[in-house]
Amino acid sequence: MIRFKSRAAVVASVISVAALTIATSVVATSSSSAAGVPSWCGPKKITMGFTDGFGGNSWRLVTTAAVREEVKLCPSVTKLYYADGQGKTDKAISDIKGMVAKGVKALVVFPDAGQAMLPALRSAFKAGVKTVPYRVWAGGTAGKDYNLFVGSDFVLAGKLWGEWIKKNLPNGGNILSLSGPAGNSQGADEAKGLHAVLTDPKYKFIGAQPFEVTNWDPGKAQEVLTAAIAKYPQIDAITTDFGPSIVSALQAAVDSGWKVPAIAGSDGNVFGCFYQDNHATQPNFKMMTISTQNDHSRLAADWAIALATGGKTPTAKSYPSTLFEDSVSGKPSPVQCRKDLPGDVYLSAKMSGDAQAKLKTN
Amino acid sequence: MSTTQIREVKRSARMQVSRGMKTVLAGVIFLYIASAIFAPTSISRVAQMGMLPFAACLAIVGLGQTLVIQQGGIDLSVAGSVSLFVVIVTWGPDRHDDRLIPAVLAAFAAAIITGLINGALVTKTKLNSIVATLGVNSLLYGVMMALSGGSPRRTTDRLSHFTNNKTFGLQHSVYYGIICAVILTILLKRTVIGRRFEAVGANPRAALATGLKVGRYQIGAYVAAQIFYCIAGVILGGVISQPTAYQGDEFVLPSVAVVVLGGTSLLGGRGFPAASALAALFLKQLDMFVLSLGVPYGVRTIVISISLMLGIALYAVNWKAVRSKFGAKGRELQAA
Repeated sequence: MIRFKSRAAVVASVISVAALTIATSVVATSSSSAAGVPSWCGPKKITMGFTDGFGGNSWRLVTTAAVREEVKLCPSVTKLYYADGQGKTDKAISDIKGMVAKGVKALVVFPDAGQAMLPALRSAFKAGVKTVPYRVWAGGTAGKDYNLFVGSDFVLAGKLWGEWIKKNLPNGGNILSLSGPAGNSQGADEAKGLHAVLTDPKYKFIGAQPFEVTNWDPGKAQEVLTAAIAKYPQIDAITTDFGPSIVSALQAAVDSGWKVPAIAGSDGNVFGCFYQDNHATQPNFKMMTISTQNDHSRLAADWAIALATGGKTPTAKSYPSTLFEDSVSGKPSPVQCRKDLPGDVYLSAKMSGDAQAKLKTN
Repeated sequence: MSTTQIREVKRSARMQVSRGMKTVLAGVIFLYIASAIFAPTSISRVAQMGMLPFAACLAIVGLGQTLVIQQGGIDLSVAGSVSLFVVIVTWGPDRHDDRLIPAVLAAFAAAIITGLINGALVTKTKLNSIVATLGVNSLLYGVMMALSGGSPRRTTDRLSHFTNNKTFGLQHSVYYGIICAVILTILLKRTVIGRRFEAVGANPRAALATGLKVGRYQIGAYVAAQIFYCIAGVILGGVISQPTAYQGDEFVLPSVAVVVLGGTSLLGGRGFPAASALAALFLKQLDMFVLSLGVPYGVRTIVISISLMLGIALYAVNWKAVRSKFGAKGRELQAA
């Protein structure tokens, strides 16, 4: 999931108060040798950097914590530096340069700003830092501008949704697709996958194509969904690549008497709980989710550490999209809801829901 | 001059419907007619019920911005403020109804403190309002992140009922917007303090010469603005059952746009809160209209931009001068 919030208005104000937003934190990792050191952790001692283009939401919080957990498994990494770009491209670039100046040997980058980050990635790579961007494509070539790009197959995510819709709506229907900001590559790839599977004309794609723009914002999603409900009396399936962001909209629509259709999305505790609360009274409400991929960052960290410490590199170069919940088949899991935990916990993540909840109260 | 004449003069100054109000009202009526013709689903009950609570929130934020703009300032801390208040009223109670009222009180306390900081920076240190409020905006985001780690909680049921329950078929949030606009209009146009507030905005030097405490009114504008942002934040926290930590981001430019569309001059002086509130309805219905048209996202953005430009041009362009210029050219051509 790429969640990037641009706050251009904030740029000029960095002045003195920006220090209060605590841009860079240093996390000392355990240096004690542990049994069962993973194969990607080599013998060479290094310090490592992790820069996030935007670190300010729960998904990023869990993703960053996943990197910290992964680093703890490797005693060769003596220190992990973390920097949050706060959604500002210039800060994200200077964060990378700062990491190089600190002398890190491995660097994992979430390049939210896309190709604008390429020169900074290249300069880190040329300085001899094992540089691994992940999730957002920043252009360039592996081995020339950085060591490796660890992407994810969003087309596959779209295909998984498509297959599920095909199975559960065999007679066809109207499908509404929701994604983040206009033109985001994740949404575009998911739409490609969806269209590749649902080729039969009995499946009709309604609303703006390739997707309705919600900016992954619950308020915007609410406006978009109410407009769609008013415009299309018959919506048979909805796809969303950030399930939790449409829960407010669904709730408002249910309150006004709308019948929830089948939904294919990505997981989140609030989304699962919405299903649990409503499926008994909503006969058409079926739901499937793919994993929201908080652990994508682990694979990128494994690669960077393996390259810098002389460990064995992982076999996977891309993080897979995998099914998580299916309310119809119950496989791989029925829809999950932990009412005792906050809504923005991701139960598909390797880190337990309880551990994620604690992250936020710290 | 007789007493009756004086009374008439006063009444005319207070009660006349502003040019901004007439323009926005005409704009809203025109937009609804266009909606009925070109995108009838945008005025259906479902669409209106989805749009109106957000229009109410924007209207309330716009009321706050109106006050600051009346004093010749501009408040760009809207984004940080609304985001922080939403986080306080959702993160604080953490789904427990009994903690809601203390959280709301804490939000209002934070609003007053923020307003005082903004006001003091602008009036006492003479900082430009754009710079001062942008700085405070960063500070507010810092506080919000420190509080919540960027992760607000689900709205409590009590707050949700407070905003989403219906009376006569309309959500309560909509009534709150109307009540705020009415109260502010009465305060500004019908009370001594309101008239003085406008006088200070129109000409601070003259107001100072007449013995008014100019600084207090200016600081008061920033404090009152934050209180309105806080009301909007509380309502937004209820309208959106699972808000993000950045709900205020969407309000910065629209809050200024509704003030300008409502006819309040960016140079300060007289303010038209009711017109600002109506302009919020105009903007949100415009969103709903273009969404319902079913045109691509790029076209939607263009339609909204052109509508805004036209609205603002009504005030920004000196039409009299334009008319006389073209009129003169026309006469020259005829003479030739």
